[in-house]
Amino acid sequence: MTSPDALTTRLNRGVSRRNARWSFVSAEQFGDALELHRFRLGNGLRVLTLEDRSAPTVSYHTWFRVGSRDERPGKTGLAHLFEHLMFNETKNHQYGEFDHLMENAGVEVNAATWTDWTYYYENAPKNALPLLVELESDRMANLVLREPQVRSEKEVVANERKLRVDDDIEGRALEQLYATAFKRHPYRWPTIGWMEDIRGFTVEDCRKFYRSFYSPNNATVVVAGDFDERRVLSLIQERYGHLPATKLQQNGEAPREPTQRGERTYRIAAPTPTDKMLLGYHVPGFAHPDTPALIVINELLFGGRSSRLLRVFCDDKELALSVRGSVSPFVDPGLFELWFSLREGRRMADALALLDSEIERLVTEGPTTDELGKAVNQIELSFLYSMETAGGKAEQLGFYETVVDDAASAMSRLDAFRALTVPTLQRVAAKYLNPNRRTRVEVSESFA
Amino acid sequence: MAKSRPRLLIETSGVLPLVDVEVAFPTGSLQDPIRKEGLARLTGQLMRRGPSGISTARFEDHLARLGARMSVDTSLRTTRVRATTLRRNVEPLLAFVADLIWSPALRQQDFGKLKRQANASLLARLDDDQALGAVHFRERLFSGHPYGRTSSGSPESVGHISLRDVERFYTRYYANTPYIVGFAGDITKTEARDLVQGYFPTRSGDPKTKHAVPATRLPRGRRVVIVDKPERVQTQLYIGTLGARTQDRDLFPLIVSNTAFGGTFTGPLMREVRAVRGWSYGAYSRLTHSAQRDAWYMWSAPSVEYSAECAALQLDLLERWVERGLDRKSLRFAQRYLINSHCFDTDTPSKRLESRLDVELLGVPRRYVERHDELIAAVTRRQANAATSGRISSRDLTIVVVATARDVASKFEKLPGVTSVDVVPFRPA
Repeated sequence: MTSPDALTTRLNRGVSRRNARWSFVSAEQFGDALELHRFRLGNGLRVLTLEDRSAPTVSYHTWFRVGSRDERPGKTGLAHLFEHLMFNETKNHQYGEFDHLMENAGVEVNAATWTDWTYYYENAPKNALPLLVELESDRMANLVLREPQVRSEKEVVANERKLRVDDDIEGRALEQLYATAFKRHPYRWPTIGWMEDIRGFTVEDCRKFYRSFYSPNNATVVVAGDFDERRVLSLIQERYGHLPATKLQQNGEAPREPTQRGERTYRIAAPTPTDKMLLGYHVPGFAHPDTPALIVINELLFGGRSSRLLRVFCDDKELALSVRGSVSPFVDPGLFELWFSLREGRRMADALALLDSEIERLVTEGPTTDELGKAVNQIELSFLYSMETAGGKAEQLGFYETVVDDAASAMSRLDAFRALTVPTLQRVAAKYLNPNRRTRVEVSESFA
Repeated sequence: MAKSRPRLLIETSGVLPLVDVEVAFPTGSLQDPIRKEGLARLTGQLMRRGPSGISTARFEDHLARLGARMSVDTSLRTTRVRATTLRRNVEPLLAFVADLIWSPALRQQDFGKLKRQANASLLARLDDDQALGAVHFRERLFSGHPYGRTSSGSPESVGHISLRDVERFYTRYYANTPYIVGFAGDITKTEARDLVQGYFPTRSGDPKTKHAVPATRLPRGRRVVIVDKPERVQTQLYIGTLGARTQDRDLFPLIVSNTAFGGTFTGPLMREVRAVRGWSYGAYSRLTHSAQRDAWYMWSAPSVEYSAECAALQLDLLERWVERGLDRKSLRFAQRYLINSHCFDTDTPSKRLESRLDVELLGVPRRYVERHDELIAAVTRRQANAATSGRISSRDLTIVVVATARDVASKFEKLPGVTSVDVVPFRPA
């Protein structure tokens, strides 16, 4: 087998265009059986490959380092609307052709946008790879934006907002949690955008956004699954090598969020048979050294039936039907979110008091080493499960490369979890799970 | 009949150090007695609370320490005990699975908790408009038939269930019933066989589902049901009729035809509703099949201001599809899509195991799995169109819309061919 370094040397033979010349960046072991390779094309496009021939499928991801944090007030939701528009016509393919060609080849296609990124993916039978490279490279540079498609897609997004936010209790609560917890940082607006902003976008807004952020030097391509590395690098070189790097819009550092010094609350009146409560504690960005400890704390509190809060809220006291937590995986500081769906007739004040006492117990007594071991085992299981398919592997790699700037840390983070100690968890819990830095959204029919 | 070891299915893959274990029984909520709907599910959930001789809390701690997850999933026709663990812990996990199934504690205290939890879950379902629409759609389409039940039952039926009912149900349908064991992931055939021999009991008989289900009957006319929920800016819209049986000779022609109509992003349903008009984030049609004719339906989620217009458009598309059928190009496209994407039905060991279990347990013909591509490719345009016009009625339809009734009722009354409009509250009295 040719080494990745020798491979790039061979592929660069006779290639004079700087944009099309490969650089080999690194090769790293990824678990027991796989190896992650990193390359860079002359125009700045990052390419990650992970060969795994256990199934005749391939996953092709394109991650752009642009999300709702790159928007500004009055134009919220543009990154997400743009994700929809990327499925429209290009200079080389008519409207509808992209989806038609993909479905004809049996390819599953979709995309997602969040605060710090937008990604597009295809899960495909392995023989469809040339089609994926052709169509993805084409829409990176040749998208055509016209009024009828923008108008129709704005209506689709308005409907998506109604589905996921306006008529969805958890969606509404989440939107208000970030709008209340953040006063200056762009994380305060929803990725889907405010409705009046969605309605107001023009074709020119969209064109400007495309020119500003969609460029090979702002993207990472991830290929995982059953493919021939030489062949895929050659295809990428051929299809992307002529694209120039562009000057990216520099938004600079997002405004720093001032330290929250008192609990904030927001109430929503909604037709729901039981009360709900969503809380958010400010936590650092995902690359921060305290994040692994926060993820383990989340697992201790919410990870399965033996976790502390599931046991006490749902089983022992029967205060809630479900409780859930997550640490926001953002580049900049985000929130540790806690969701409580209460049982009928149960009071939010009781739930809050119980939560506070459990957090106090965690801070003062810490978890037992046995609990810590359980939590790490559960995290390992979830991670391995997420890596089962080619698409799962590509998603993990694309996310870590985009948010942490290191795809390999998707796997090496397991070591960080295993190295955690009880005193570290106590210190981190005390530092971040502070009621004065908490925002609380309450939902009840009784608020009407 | 002589007793023997359970049927064992194994899908080996060493890519990740994970093992899935599944123990499947031919028992589901079809076996729920009348007025005690929810019994099969409640029995499964009570088994999941752990084996005798150990508290639920300690049982959960042991599972978590193994890096394991476990669930007991009850559907209409089957109960599946599923567990996943890190490869290094597969043997202790299997011992737990065996104890849980064949020595469950079935404690009174846990039973009380589970009944309250079941009722809380039924209440929580009222928050989810899409799920609410789906439940009402099946209830109306299969009115009075077991297919119209949900496995979770109703507050009333759950209230009628006693611990004695659960114990009887367990004894009859799990304790001595033949079953199938499946493994998927990082385990060899020899390892799996040795483990089953060491921990699982012998049983006689065939573990296929045999419960007789009466034929489903098609309700006549276009019947609208509005599930009235306040403050809706959007609606959940289900329009459907009876679909097919698993054993129907024209099942594959109907699968191809439905895929061409509403099974892809580029089919006419999605194109006209979403791409051309932007009326809904999604729009699709689904064909489900079972021992008797199951449902075929369209789903979309249009805004309240054009919900009835969207329904009218979908009815028009449906009529055209049923009356005119597919053209050759659409047929070929659907066939290529189904054949080329079939690799995603088998790209993980657990998916391969599930499809083999469907064959063994549900009586899905083996050729559906082994000769899938061939069966799809063999469908002719005439077969596809005959299956569509023969099976899908555009006259006899159940139309369920979750919406604020005063905003939509008068418009839905005016839809072509509507024979009745019922308004029901989203929260039962």
